[in-house]
Amino acid sequence: MKTVKMLAVNALLAAIYIVLTFFLQPISFSAVQFRISEMLNHMIVFNKKYFWGIICGVFLGNLFFSPMLPYDLIFGTGQSVLALLTTMIVSKFITNIWARMLVNTGVFTLTMCFIAWELAIVLKLPFLWTWLTVAIGECVVMLIGMPIMYAINRRAKLDKLI
Amino acid sequence: MFNLVIGQYVPADSYIHRLDPRSKLISVFLFVIIVFLANNWVTNALMVLFCFLGIALSRLNVSFIYRGLRSVFIIVLITFLLNLFLSSGGTVLFSWGFLRVTSAGLLQSIFIAIRILVIIVVTTLLTLTTSPIEITDGMESLLNPLKKIKVPVHEFALMMSISLRFIPTLLEETEKIIKAQSARGSDFTSGSLKSRVKAIVPLLVPLFVGAFKRAEDLAMAMEARGYHGDFGRTKLHQLKWDWRDTLLLAAVLLLAVLLILARY
Repeated sequence: MKTVKMLAVNALLAAIYIVLTFFLQPISFSAVQFRISEMLNHMIVFNKKYFWGIICGVFLGNLFFSPMLPYDLIFGTGQSVLALLTTMIVSKFITNIWARMLVNTGVFTLTMCFIAWELAIVLKLPFLWTWLTVAIGECVVMLIGMPIMYAINRRAKLDKLI
Repeated sequence: MFNLVIGQYVPADSYIHRLDPRSKLISVFLFVIIVFLANNWVTNALMVLFCFLGIALSRLNVSFIYRGLRSVFIIVLITFLLNLFLSSGGTVLFSWGFLRVTSAGLLQSIFIAIRILVIIVVTTLLTLTTSPIEITDGMESLLNPLKKIKVPVHEFALMMSISLRFIPTLLEETEKIIKAQSARGSDFTSGSLKSRVKAIVPLLVPLFVGAFKRAEDLAMAMEARGYHGDFGRTKLHQLKWDWRDTLLLAAVLLLAVLLILARY
């Protein structure tokens, strides 16, 4: 975090994440995850400085709304860190925003295996079946999120804000 | 429309409320690891007993705990049924078509259900008795060693505090935006998937622009007041570890020892 502005913008981004999570709270946590705020993960393709804001949002989201709190704090936040870092590295080689978002969607869908792993350990749910259900929810939200985030970026200039 | 109480914190004066957030956080994280030690009736009973003790010491109305449990009833039920039909072993108690319930499967599903319930009770106890700001302070203090590997712990904790401060503001703002856009004829609740997705954009753009405008003002205000990062910064709320916290940790460790002894 280099500047105070970066810190403030990321804090507000995390607050937006919570606000959006709150809107769809009842269907956000369980085997079939459908968290609309997950589309904010696409912020990373516009500017990698949003990294901490997204992580903070995921962390607080789990802290407030997740019944499986301690495990989600570790596995959920860990999954986001890993997926965002992967997209950040891949983004160095891809400049097209749509391609980056598609990669991001793929990375997040695949890394949902961490969440499935968590549920398999704690709730003894079958791993592959759980992965499929949580990955579908994530994939759908992030695919729908692509045009939305693209439109928002065009109007709010997310890439040049910080 | 938005009656969100941030977190579920219920202010009160009890043994659990007075504890240092660090000891509560450590205990909860230890507890969710040692729940895996429970594998029979005695160990599960010990865990349930521990939860009841916690509830009693927190002096909270049981209805608060019940509310936390009610929201996860579906998860418990689905997990119970999946474990019931998917695990095998022991004698067959009941079979209908391809579905088979075995004695070992039944036992396992009951234990898993108890596991979920005690986890939820313990974490609900944490969030009911500790304010989000206390949790943030506690985490910052616990994660301090990570500074050595260049993790911006202080900045992250500050970010969390700022975020907590602005969530109610943004909720209010979102409500205003929804009303303003509805007044202009936006429809968020009906129509095809495509039109609903399209309707989200005019909702989110003002939200982002407004939020980032606030962030800019805030950053300027912080700089004007001389915010200069972690170094030499003092705190309004000092964390204090006393004998109660040590006692709590000792109780959790004792539970772990008892669980290990009662496992066989």
